[in-house]
Amino acid sequence: MIGTIARKELTELSRDGRFRLLAAVILVLAVASTAAGWLQFTAVSRQHAEAQRETREQWLGQQEKNPHSAAHYGVYAFKPASHLSIVDTGLDPYLGVAVWLEAHRQSEMKFRPAQDRTAIQRFGELNGAEVLLVLVPLFILLVTFPVFAGEREQGTLRQLMSLGVAPRLLVAGKALGTLAAVALVIVPVSALAAVAMAWASADSYLAADVSRTVALGATCLVYFLVVTGVGLAVSAWAPSSRVALVTLLGFWFATSLVAPRIATDVAGSLHPTPNAAEFQRALDADLSDPEEARQRLARLQAETLTKYNVTSLDALPVAFSGLSLQSGEDHGNEVFDRHFGRLHDQFSNQARVYQWAGLASPLLAARSLSMALAGTDFEQHRHFAKAAEAYRRDIQRTLNDDIARNQRAGQPYLAGTELWSRVPDFTYDAPSIGWVLGRQATALTVLAGWLTLAGALALLATRRLSATLG
Amino acid sequence: MLARIIRHEWQMLKADAVLWVIVAIVGSAIAYGVWNGTRWVHFQEGAIEAARSEERVRFDRLTAQLEKVAAGERVSPFADPRSPSNLGSRLAAKVAVLPPAPLGALTVGQSDLLPSYVRVSTESREAVLASTEVESPLRLLTGRFDLAFVVVYLVPLLVLALAYSMVSGEKEQGTLSMVLAQPVSLGTLVAAKVVVRAAALLVIIVGLGLGTLLMTGVSLADAATRERLLWWVASVAAYMGLWFAIALVGVSLGRGSAATATLLAGLWLLLVVIVPSALTLGVQQLYPVPSRVALVQATRVASDEANAQGARLLAAYYEDHPELATGDAEQAMTDFNVVRLAVNDDIEKRVRPVVAQFDEQLSSQQALVERFRVLSPALVVYEALSDLSGSGQQRHRHFVSQVSGFHDEWRRFFTQKVVAKTPVADLSSLPTFTYSEEPSSALRARMMATLATLLVPAVLLGGLAFIRLRRYAIAG
Repeated sequence: MIGTIARKELTELSRDGRFRLLAAVILVLAVASTAAGWLQFTAVSRQHAEAQRETREQWLGQQEKNPHSAAHYGVYAFKPASHLSIVDTGLDPYLGVAVWLEAHRQSEMKFRPAQDRTAIQRFGELNGAEVLLVLVPLFILLVTFPVFAGEREQGTLRQLMSLGVAPRLLVAGKALGTLAAVALVIVPVSALAAVAMAWASADSYLAADVSRTVALGATCLVYFLVVTGVGLAVSAWAPSSRVALVTLLGFWFATSLVAPRIATDVAGSLHPTPNAAEFQRALDADLSDPEEARQRLARLQAETLTKYNVTSLDALPVAFSGLSLQSGEDHGNEVFDRHFGRLHDQFSNQARVYQWAGLASPLLAARSLSMALAGTDFEQHRHFAKAAEAYRRDIQRTLNDDIARNQRAGQPYLAGTELWSRVPDFTYDAPSIGWVLGRQATALTVLAGWLTLAGALALLATRRLSATLG
Repeated sequence: MLARIIRHEWQMLKADAVLWVIVAIVGSAIAYGVWNGTRWVHFQEGAIEAARSEERVRFDRLTAQLEKVAAGERVSPFADPRSPSNLGSRLAAKVAVLPPAPLGALTVGQSDLLPSYVRVSTESREAVLASTEVESPLRLLTGRFDLAFVVVYLVPLLVLALAYSMVSGEKEQGTLSMVLAQPVSLGTLVAAKVVVRAAALLVIIVGLGLGTLLMTGVSLADAATRERLLWWVASVAAYMGLWFAIALVGVSLGRGSAATATLLAGLWLLLVVIVPSALTLGVQQLYPVPSRVALVQATRVASDEANAQGARLLAAYYEDHPELATGDAEQAMTDFNVVRLAVNDDIEKRVRPVVAQFDEQLSSQQALVERFRVLSPALVVYEALSDLSGSGQQRHRHFVSQVSGFHDEWRRFFTQKVVAKTPVADLSSLPTFTYSEEPSSALRARMMATLATLLVPAVLLGGLAFIRLRRYAIAG
């Protein structure tokens, strides 16, 4: 029975010129956006990999100099593009791509790609996720609004109901028909995207990416089911197909365009962030407090003298300058952890509010999941920034230890290639899918809740379906 | 006759729940949008004030140090408050501010992405301009709920909601043939319906918009602000007019209400959502801006090379700038600060082609956007609304070019002093920056172009619709 109903829906849709036009538009957009995503990904990966190799060569190619000069010379870390950014660029355009790792300071990631774009980008980026999560659902709603309401107006609903089909089967069949229509559009595009991804990353398409891709596909499917359920429920409930259409368009507009804006406003109000000038002032005040520095150095001096059981710094077997540099780093690290930690916590909290806002709009839960699985959400940006900062701290410690060991009072000390190569190359491993999904528990729950609700609503509305009005 | 139909239509519209639903939606959306925009302007003002207060504190400290040094206290050369090199690069760096424009609260535009203040020092122009505001990336991606959002996205939908069943609805109710049995043409009837709906919507939007704006405390004392407000009303009206024309074309096709609604919703989607984002995608593919990573690396390579050649560059520097080579050039050769000037100068020379590539690609993108903007009325009106609020790219570019000029002046000032080794004794002699607003003639020209871009297609489409309406099948 389900199959028959589904086949009828699909046949009817495929004869409808509007459906064919809409499907063609979506298909073209999906192909174009995936192709653009692929080009972008390959360009960015190439540029970043090359730059990462160059920065390493520059580090190793330094002439003989004092290790602290090398620390100031520093290295750069460049954020690698994730494979799934082909489909969902997420927050990437609005987050920096490079960070300078030098002595004394943790820097913010710099250069947001969005700043090198024209103002019209603010209308939204056309990427695979945008097509999947915003345009396809609209397509689904346009396909579902006349499913019951239209049949009622044509008078065929009475015949259909007289057959005594169980509402459960009716809803399942209609949903299946709609989704089959969607699949006609989505499946070829997804296959294309998968090939593009595999091709773009022939050497590195890891198991992790496969599971992320599958999870992303599942997220989209669940979201489509939610939208289909809502569409069917409204179509069954609405007194006319016109009312069904207006209601569903309103639902789409509210959940896709209005809700995200209100959600980010609410998130910003609940978890405000300071302006750049204030943030910098507070950071600088904690970082270079002369009184703190004086006390810290005095304490370090006393401790070191006791430790080596000597009475003057000149008698130490190690260079005090190396120790004091490292003590400055340790102090700085504490300050950075506090200030950047607080700022980034606020951004993380905002992202959590966004997940909760999925209660009001299922799109928010789906988009949050999609960005997370694509590796383009804030949490994974932070993960990278943390890894880069940990690497910076390693470099500083290696260099300062070397100064402590080898510098002799009153003599210039120059280190060379041997020391530079003792600093390992920067490597970054993206977090596992478990790590990612663990941070998306709210979005997952909310989306599951919507699935249940939409299914229940569709079923309920079909149970109370009447062939005529009034 | 027309007046009587208009009166009648107004009675009908008043009795229709749809109008009041729209009033409620628009009312709350406008109030929220303006309130949100105002909050953003307050945030910007707070950030600017914080930057200025940092500068004030720094200058107070500097003055105190200068007094101490004048009284004979010794300082390390790296912290010497008289050294033009220290002052120009760090100690006396000045904040250049782009203040929010009077109507800033109406459109957030690009102002959350492009910095509204920068710290000008002798660092490279790119370093000076690279500063960013701390802002949630999620909010940057999503965009703001401001009045421009309401106008660009919501208003056309409301126009379509009011217009799509203007004729087909009456036909489906069976009243159309009865009305047209009177001595009135379908054209007159439709014209009356459009006039009533457009007037009602315009009054709601402009009235509520201006009302909330005035409640947030915007002053209308300035003639330039009043002019901008008038342009704002004109742009919104023209945009609405175009959407009414589009709706009329849909209506004139003579399909049923549901079919017309689907068609118009599809057109809305195409013009407001798909064309803008497809255009973004297109211009990025045609003129791709390279990743800034390329600039990072180019700067790095250039500075390695320049540093390695330090002293030799200095000789070349004096050749380029003979006016700076004063009598004691010999001694200046050995001066660390002068070598640094020469090195920085050389780095910038090497990096300039890479920077130019970014600027070129971006302006090619912009040119392309301007050429194809007509494809989407949403783009045209968004651009105009940002422009009027001073939060678009135009004003920011104006700011950046002034900052560049000031940066040059700043550098010239300190370069002369570094080379001549003249200490700075008086902080009030330093160059200062004040933003000067663009002349209103430039704005006027852009607004005229905007209105033309919206009204010409509106008139053409409206005309087409009225011609088609003559052949409208009234019955059957």
